[in-house]
Amino acid sequence: MAHPADATARAPGWAATHPSAAQMPVEVRGVIKRYGRRTVLDRVTLDVPPGITGLVGPNGAGKSTLVRAILGLVHLTEGSVRVFGLDPRRRSRMVRQMMGVVPEDECSIPGLSGVEMVRYAARLSGLPGTEALRRAHEVLDWCDAGQERYRAVETLSVGMRQKISFAAAIVHDPRMVILDEPTNGLDPIERRAMLGRLTTLARDHGKTILISTHVLPDVQSVCDRVVVLAGGRVRLAGTIRELTHPAIPEERLEGIGPIDALIGRLTARGIPARRAIPSPSELPAPPGGGTILFQSQGAEALRAVWVEAADLGVTVRSLEPAHRPLEEVFIDTLRAAAIADGESHDAAP
Amino acid sequence: MPLHDVGYRPWQGVRTGPASTVAVIATTGIRLAWTSRWLRRAVFFAWSPALLFAGSFFAFEQAADEGRLGALRNTARSGGDLDGVGILGSILAETLGKPGQGSVEQAGGTGPGHGGANAVDQTRRTVWSRLLLAFMRVPQAVLLAVVIGLVAPSLISRDLRAKAWLIYFTRPVGKLEYILGKMLILGLLVATITMLPALALWLMGVGVSPSIWVAVTTWDLPVRIIVASLALAVPMVLMSLAYSSVTAESRIASFAWFATWAACWIAHTTLSTADLMRADDSSGVAVAAGVDFSDFDSRMDEFLEQGPRRGGRPPGRNLRQFRWLSKAAGLDTTIDRWAWLSPYHSLGVIQSWIFGIETRWQAVFPPLLSLTLVSVVSAVVLWWRVDAPARA
Repeated sequence: MAHPADATARAPGWAATHPSAAQMPVEVRGVIKRYGRRTVLDRVTLDVPPGITGLVGPNGAGKSTLVRAILGLVHLTEGSVRVFGLDPRRRSRMVRQMMGVVPEDECSIPGLSGVEMVRYAARLSGLPGTEALRRAHEVLDWCDAGQERYRAVETLSVGMRQKISFAAAIVHDPRMVILDEPTNGLDPIERRAMLGRLTTLARDHGKTILISTHVLPDVQSVCDRVVVLAGGRVRLAGTIRELTHPAIPEERLEGIGPIDALIGRLTARGIPARRAIPSPSELPAPPGGGTILFQSQGAEALRAVWVEAADLGVTVRSLEPAHRPLEEVFIDTLRAAAIADGESHDAAP
Repeated sequence: MPLHDVGYRPWQGVRTGPASTVAVIATTGIRLAWTSRWLRRAVFFAWSPALLFAGSFFAFEQAADEGRLGALRNTARSGGDLDGVGILGSILAETLGKPGQGSVEQAGGTGPGHGGANAVDQTRRTVWSRLLLAFMRVPQAVLLAVVIGLVAPSLISRDLRAKAWLIYFTRPVGKLEYILGKMLILGLLVATITMLPALALWLMGVGVSPSIWVAVTTWDLPVRIIVASLALAVPMVLMSLAYSSVTAESRIASFAWFATWAACWIAHTTLSTADLMRADDSSGVAVAAGVDFSDFDSRMDEFLEQGPRRGGRPPGRNLRQFRWLSKAAGLDTTIDRWAWLSPYHSLGVIQSWIFGIETRWQAVFPPLLSLTLVSVVSAVVLWWRVDAPARA
């Protein structure tokens, strides 16, 4: 499938003069990738805008293949990919100069020390010799690599290797960074620091970041957008807020006392309410307590909830706008995808 | 946070081009390879044959300078032993001993300051060419197999095992640059053990010769050395890298490399010996192993006639000596019809052709075709394999 921008993308300065290309770092349009009879990517269409985008999906969802397609490493069966307005297959050198990649697999060149590894990555990305060494130390300092940088890569801990790998990905100051499981092997403090670095890159330096991960709390804490990929298809895409906040605003009340009676009273007053099913990550409700969700209908409704709760003797522990944990959204999406795929299989002759 | 941490800063410099990428891959690869103690030993050892050949260069120049070429010629013609001047002995015996070679005749009777300088130059040129060819064919070609076998197997297989291909192919590194970088690692090592010592020998020869003008009259020899080294390096480097690219286990690649050399050598020797055995009589026309029975007979006659005390040599010793050297120095004029089977023997014929010693197309063509095929197939395998994991 030809990309609509194909004809003009090759013209000199096209990317600079076309705002859509300048603003949309990655455009994936109708990408199909088959290995023999197996379809790994099935009509994938998505955009990766500036900021941090999370790419989530179960194992075998096609995340790695999509990343390789963006890097221009695989030949697409159908569809097109544009990275900053360029075809990554035809203009691979230019595209890869603008990209930094932290692969999930531990990859290293045995025998090189951490700083040599980062310097080597810088040299391969086109930085001159002395500048490459200076820059390697600079990013390693920023990644808090310490004196460990002088040890051979193969002797480093998993967390340290992850830092080296991240430093190697950003040493040439790429416009876009793709990270596959960036917090693997990091302790909680380092994990937080790593997410902080990603945020700094995106917010302060305008980098486009694509994180492919299974760690949904990481995605929820740093990503602006999320794309859920399952069975080679995009099942859900949007901002974190869009996905985790219901379409009709709801409030979440946690209290101790006759919760069911409160639900009845609110429903009777025309305020739809229901008992919330606690997610596995939540602490269990205190004895005699529970959580309800009710539709937010303005200040009057809120006042009525307070009045009814006080009247029934419900002690309100918290009242806040309701949102669904990303994990719940993800699992629901996968379930829906499984059902849809099952139906499509059933419908197939 | 370290005091010198300046945070993340953008970088806006001028990037280097693809040629720089090749150089970076090569220099880093050499640095890593050089950490192997065995490689360092092999490379140092690979220079030792140069000392032996240097002695021959010195002895020839000394003989030419003192006007002893004539005496040597006479000794050679009478079947005398020239081993007193080392490797040079056999080469001189062949070069000076053949009657009817005008230049040699003149050179033989010429002493310093007595004219006939052109004849000496021509003899020098022949002797130097044969010495250099012998040097590059026998010790260096074998040591090349050892050095490549120590380094090449891990060059790509290690990248496959450690998933280092991700480091290359997620960066602005093309397949061609990657392959050229890896080839350059081996190419430089091969040059270190073949081209550099051979060039050093030529320089030394110029240094010990009576005149600096010898450099002018033998100007083509350094060029031939470089071309012969390239002819040696390109097919072997491609083949070894192809082996390395088809497995993530460098041991398997290493085994395949040495097994190829050994198996091809054995096949060549077996078929050549079979040819030898098939020869109906001792005057067999084409003796692939390089042992000419007519030479054997003449030597034997000479030995019986002259006896040991008159300088005649027992034929067995002579033939043992000639068996390897006559081939190496291009003295054996028989066509090795099984050379194409073995990389070592094919390379020998091609080098002989490059040095202008072997000029018969029917001798050169099969090895040339064989090495070209090996190079092309290896290059195709390499091209297909190096980024295979990225495509999977």
